[in-house]
Amino acid sequence: MSVARTIFPAYSRARMESPVRPAVSKDTGLAEAAIASEADIRSGLTENLARLWRYGLVLSHQRDVADDLVQATCLRALERADQFIAGTRLDRWLFSILHSIWLNEIRSRRVRQGQGFVDAGETLTVDGAHDTETHVMANQVLKQVNALPEAQRTVVFLAYVEGLSYREVAGILDIPIGTVMSRLAAARAKLSGAGSEGGRQ
Amino acid sequence: MNTKHTMPSDEDLTAFIDGELTAEEAARIEALVNQDESVAERLEFLARASLPFEQAFAPLLSEAPREKLEAMLADIPAPQNASSGSAPAFATRRRFLGALAASLVAGIAIDRAVIGIGRSFTPKDENGEWRAVVAEYISLYTRETLAGPTASREVQTAQLARLDEKLGLSLSPEAVSLPGVDFKRAQLLQYDGKPLAQIAYLDPETGPMALCIVMSSKGRKAPDLESRKGLNVVYWSNETHAFMLIGRAAVDRMTAIADGVRGRMAV
Repeated sequence: MSVARTIFPAYSRARMESPVRPAVSKDTGLAEAAIASEADIRSGLTENLARLWRYGLVLSHQRDVADDLVQATCLRALERADQFIAGTRLDRWLFSILHSIWLNEIRSRRVRQGQGFVDAGETLTVDGAHDTETHVMANQVLKQVNALPEAQRTVVFLAYVEGLSYREVAGILDIPIGTVMSRLAAARAKLSGAGSEGGRQ
Repeated sequence: MNTKHTMPSDEDLTAFIDGELTAEEAARIEALVNQDESVAERLEFLARASLPFEQAFAPLLSEAPREKLEAMLADIPAPQNASSGSAPAFATRRRFLGALAASLVAGIAIDRAVIGIGRSFTPKDENGEWRAVVAEYISLYTRETLAGPTASREVQTAQLARLDEKLGLSLSPEAVSLPGVDFKRAQLLQYDGKPLAQIAYLDPETGPMALCIVMSSKGRKAPDLESRKGLNVVYWSNETHAFMLIGRAAVDRMTAIADGVRGRMAV
């Protein structure tokens, strides 16, 4: 079930909007600023690796794809370090990069190639002690969220797990706030319904 | 029947539950909820979906292959290094992209190898990475995470026995009981493919606290202090295991509690 790694395209796209770089050597101050920000991005990436990976797992349901998504996100973020706006939230920026890679490159490719998605239940479970109440609860919530359609699952994850505001979710997914609201509303209706049908308190 | 006109949409009710409405809009919804039973019912229905999402997804953070991802990140060359200074920008850029593409293809093989080597030779987990992972996890705990009655001695013994078996320990409820702090549960987690024992407590004053243990061969090390994710950590190790006590209690109290544990466990 592994994704074809060699065609992983996140960095090989010559056509991506290339940041404007001065053709000849930059003045020293500018170069220093760029270097500093590359280091900042790198340390920001280090801090957020686990969160990015989790988001990749929620999107793809597959650990190896989550690995690849994080890798592609790192490459692109470092390459575009100069596009990061200082003073804004780095984690939000990284999430939006990961999401666009998923949407535009991985997911579409997989759909095109007709590779199915594995059943969410297999991948997204909490390991370790399997018998404590907390884990039973956690796995039940994971199962319910993973049963949601991708569009709803994504907003639920970003808004309710990552705790982002509607505006931030809209920014990451590049959709209107109204769409975030309607997806969350639909997800809530589904989750509440599932709760009563399944006889879970 | 004016229900049709006053019934707010699911979107409005959802935004109300999520605290995303302006004060004015929120007041309007609140008034409708008070006036109209069907609005109240719908609100209650949607609010039922306010599940403990954050807690449910928290364990996935510690499942991330952090070591592998960090090695991968370290392998990515800094873009500036690719430039020799005077090369035209397009050439530099092409070379950079080429290098990235190559490093990815090779990178997979390399980082597999690095990880393989890392596992067998370098005592990676002694450098504190496991504590960072635990801190991340514990920082997501709230009082609610650990709500519920304190486990009976039998349950505690059974839970601890699982840890003993996997980690080669011999823990008793007495040894791991902390003064003034309630034992909540002992769990077996996994860090980097190795068992990680986590004993969770609830301190009535400061909230969640945990004692975590992994196997470690780095040798004996006296207790030290650090702060991670806004939590205080006391960590130490003996010949066979590394320990950490993490919580929001003040440093003095954390140190005293850790000393007590070390005494009782003879580590």
